[in-house]
Amino acid sequence: MYYVINLLIYAGVDAMACLGLSQQFGVAGVTNFGFIIFQAAGGYTAAILAMPPKSANGGFQSYIGGWSLPFPVPWIGAAVAGGLIALPFTFLVGRRLRGDFAAVGLLVTAVLLNLLATNYVPLFNGDAGLSLIPQPLQGEFNPQSSGYQWAFVAVTIVLAALVYLFVRRVTESPYGRTLRAMRDNDAVADSLGKNLLSLRTGMLVLGGAIAGLSGGILVSYITTWSPAAWGYAETVVLFAAVIIGGAGNHAGAVLGAVLVPVGFEEVTRFIPTSNNLPPNLIPSLEWVAIGLLILVFLWFRPQGILPERKRVIPLPAAGLERPGGPVVSVRHRPAAPDHSAPDHSAPDHSAPDHSAPARYGGPEASPVVLEAKDLVQVFGGVRAVDGVSLSVRQGTLTGLIGPNGAGKSTLLALLAGTIAARHGSIAYRGQDITRLPAYRRARLGLVRTFQLASEFKRLTVLENLLSAVPANRGDSLRGAIAGRRYWKGDETAAVARAQAVLARFGLEDVASSYAGDLSGGQRRLVEIMRALMTEPGMLLLDEPMAGVHPNLARRIGDELVALCREGMTILMVEHELAIMDEFCDPVVVMAEGAVLAEGTMAQLRGRSEVVEAYLVG
Amino acid sequence: MTVFLASLGFGLVTAAVLAIAAVGFTLQFAVTDVLNLAYGAIMIAGAFIAYVVNQAGVSVWIGLAAAVAACSLGSVLVNSGVYTPFQRRGTSSITMVIVSLGMTLIIEFGVAAVAGGTSVSYTMGQGATLRAAGLILTTVQLVIIAVSLVVMAGVHTLLRYTKLGKAMRATAANKTLARNCGIRTSRVITITWALTGGLCGLAGVVFAMDSGSFSATSTDIFLVLILAAVFLGGPGQAYGAMLGAAVIGIATEVSAAFIPADYKYVVAFVVLLLMLGLRPAGLLGARA
Amino acid sequence: MSADLTLRGLPLRAEGITAGYGADPVIRGISVRAVPGQVVSLVGPNGSGKSTLLKSLVGIVRVSSGTVRVGDRDVTNQPPEEIARAGVGYVPQVDDVFAPLTVRENLEMGGYLLAHARLGEHIERVLGVFPRLAGMLSRPAGRLSGGERKMLAMGRVLMIDPGVFLLDEPTANLAPKVATELLEEHVRRLAASGASVLIVEQRARAVLAVSDLTYVLGGGEVRMQGPPAELAASPDFIESFLGGGRERGSGTLAT
Repeated sequence: MYYVINLLIYAGVDAMACLGLSQQFGVAGVTNFGFIIFQAAGGYTAAILAMPPKSANGGFQSYIGGWSLPFPVPWIGAAVAGGLIALPFTFLVGRRLRGDFAAVGLLVTAVLLNLLATNYVPLFNGDAGLSLIPQPLQGEFNPQSSGYQWAFVAVTIVLAALVYLFVRRVTESPYGRTLRAMRDNDAVADSLGKNLLSLRTGMLVLGGAIAGLSGGILVSYITTWSPAAWGYAETVVLFAAVIIGGAGNHAGAVLGAVLVPVGFEEVTRFIPTSNNLPPNLIPSLEWVAIGLLILVFLWFRPQGILPERKRVIPLPAAGLERPGGPVVSVRHRPAAPDHSAPDHSAPDHSAPDHSAPARYGGPEASPVVLEAKDLVQVFGGVRAVDGVSLSVRQGTLTGLIGPNGAGKSTLLALLAGTIAARHGSIAYRGQDITRLPAYRRARLGLVRTFQLASEFKRLTVLENLLSAVPANRGDSLRGAIAGRRYWKGDETAAVARAQAVLARFGLEDVASSYAGDLSGGQRRLVEIMRALMTEPGMLLLDEPMAGVHPNLARRIGDELVALCREGMTILMVEHELAIMDEFCDPVVVMAEGAVLAEGTMAQLRGRSEVVEAYLVG
Repeated sequence: MTVFLASLGFGLVTAAVLAIAAVGFTLQFAVTDVLNLAYGAIMIAGAFIAYVVNQAGVSVWIGLAAAVAACSLGSVLVNSGVYTPFQRRGTSSITMVIVSLGMTLIIEFGVAAVAGGTSVSYTMGQGATLRAAGLILTTVQLVIIAVSLVVMAGVHTLLRYTKLGKAMRATAANKTLARNCGIRTSRVITITWALTGGLCGLAGVVFAMDSGSFSATSTDIFLVLILAAVFLGGPGQAYGAMLGAAVIGIATEVSAAFIPADYKYVVAFVVLLLMLGLRPAGLLGARA
Repeated sequence: MSADLTLRGLPLRAEGITAGYGADPVIRGISVRAVPGQVVSLVGPNGSGKSTLLKSLVGIVRVSSGTVRVGDRDVTNQPPEEIARAGVGYVPQVDDVFAPLTVRENLEMGGYLLAHARLGEHIERVLGVFPRLAGMLSRPAGRLSGGERKMLAMGRVLMIDPGVFLLDEPTANLAPKVATELLEEHVRRLAASGASVLIVEQRARAVLAVSDLTYVLGGGEVRMQGPPAELAASPDFIESFLGGGRERGSGTLAT
């Protein structure tokens, strides 16, 4: 019977640890190879909080603490310790370090901390570890009695269940969606205004606290804490469990915990032992088998036994007509025309062409939204952007063209904040943003799209759109913990807006498809729609029509024009000059890092230096 | 002072073993872009192969030859059979770490399963103890240092003066361009793994010789030293690995003269984390 | 100053090439030919698929339909190292040298397929064509200027006496004077020495001046082809680059 009790407690503890890892690794993509340290720290803390002063029991052990604190303080301390010890780890995880290098750094940390623990006697009692750790409430009850033991089991299972509900609550919130977006494509999440460092820190602390608690519970049960039990290989076992069970699925994490750390142990129990075999053989073969399982699963079923579920958010009954009025609320509606704004456009500004239809009701009168002065960027000795000054007025759909290597994409990246300018200044709505990183500019309303695939592949189209919404109460750890009732209002409003945007672009029926499964043209649309969800004041579009069927391109162009009429400002880099013809006014031509000319496409074609720029290259 | 010189002596031997290991590891990374964390496990497998040969009554140096051959073949199989297929599928670099950890478990505990958990030693004489300039080294230790120097010279000659070595450097620098030159890069990569696998086996045996007694898990900590040496010099840089090995090997042992010996590896640990945090390309790598 | 080069030129024939990176092909049904002694240029606006075409000819991008023949050998979808053995020399637009290797080592890699005894002689010959490189043999290629790198890249390809030269925007990032020198001296000389030369270029005017035959690409297809003088005189030529409102077929816009 003790066997069953033992089994259940280990199952509970392992499930808890796997849930913490599943949250960090499966949901948020934080690959923490030092995970075992958190569990060990929790166990150690629970021990020293519960133990009597070290002089007790004949003083044969040495450790700090020893305050004989009553249950449940040691367990609470365990969770806190696990969370706190996560903080130094953010040094490796938050930085822009290659993923596998960071993983190795964490792994090495685990190996070395284990070494230190094994050797540093005053703190950890060396490799003997700690023993005779008091069990909870052992003063009031008899720990040996079966009643106590079963109560322990019950408490463990209940706590594991609570942890499960807790991580589910966090994951199934807008915050959880942000975590998954970060996992899928952290550079894009960054550009949407998500603070990667704080997200990863949050996950390390949360996972660490859960791991710490599990360590505390385990130690209180087995009454010993031995460094040998917390080696790097244990982390690998937990990773194997999460991968096999299903990374990104919390039920999968529990299943993995039952199958791997627990199930494995139990299966080997039934293998007949024989004195002829080396004593080490079975445990070693267990490890070999775990290694094989990892490889087999990663090859044949990397998504695990229980793959991550697709989140299907029901759309409210869709009205068949387009909602009246602008569906995209543009931040900062057009102010009164500002005649005092100095015109910094290129010197050869042609007279306005009155033969072209006046699309925007007097663009010269609208205020300047984006102002760049003397921007310079150098790459490997080449001046990719060589003293560019540019003014973009509100309500305009400005095109940015030029031959290859003219510096268009670099200029866009400078304006968006993806890269910092070597010299020059940029002002958005009068505010100097030259030093601001991309995600801060995004929060101010200056948002860019990317040329290459940048949708969140394992989020649905609708989730992709929702991930961009800037102000959702559920998009923080605190908000997630507060629960659905807290953020439901914001979420419903965001879903309604997303639905309207989807309807506008005719993509409602793929709302619940994974964004990674769409065609190239559809993914470009997702890119644009997602940018619109951030309620931008100005969009910087990087080749939005690339790889798009001309008919669809035309529709996109129409929508962009409509947005501008509603007050949006757009600057668009494009190669296909027919698009410029039809939709953009003004068009800015760049060549060799500098602005060559500005005007409508028709005007530019008539200018010999523009023609030469394209032909000379 | 004598303590310092004694630990300097140990440092030289450790640096020698580390250099052989680190150069192999870093070259594997250079041509394949994979951190082969199973390297330590293959090392100890080599050590045990030499042990088995040694126990059969043969000199351990013959066993060393067997270890080199076996680890060479084994490493080629690991790369061609496991790493390359996963990479061809577009596996992310972090998942490749998990793959290599899986390989580590299989190899390290495969050895443990066969060899048992107890520590063993080679049956070999340590030779006379020699003293020079205050350093105290046994003959075997001097041989190890000499072997390491020969290997370094050999690697240098290979990379700088042979067509194969230059093809290896070209493949590491720009694989597509190398193919455009007509270089059969998959063959070059296989040969690289064969050579570095041999280095791995050699490193494992001299490691075991230097450690005296060893068990299946003895190289766990040593892998940290290898990583520290590799990242100090710069991942993928052969000369960087040599430099890193010298620094880490000597610094680790010399630090034992000042701090409790159990903590001497902390030096390597700190160096590694500093390099990862501040300059991941290493001292000899190109600035990011 | 100019070395005596005689190269066994090989004709290159690409027929009906459709290729691309993902589901949607970037180029469709493109046919181009290069004949020994000729400079053939490929021009066109951005996104027309010029680079992709070259990459598909040397085995870097997969050809989904069509054939590529060098001489009488079918090299469609062969690995790049085999296409090099077929006598094709390729100079990519970027990453065109082995940066950590010295200039001499770069040339040696260019001559990888040569017998060891011939290596010195070939290096001497390349240095005769690009004398500036002679003073930099021990310098790591990563430390060369843009123009010097391009010369090294071309010298590397020259080592093996290819029958076909494929050059991807060799004048990109070069100062105009250096660019002109590259095109008028070196590219023309390659063809004059007997090889087939297929060159992709942004600088349409400059490359037309040295070409015998020009293809204009647009939207992943061949729009115009013919002798450069005729093309430049045609009004359609400028339109191909700058658009002009005319409906252009219904294919996808190439990236």
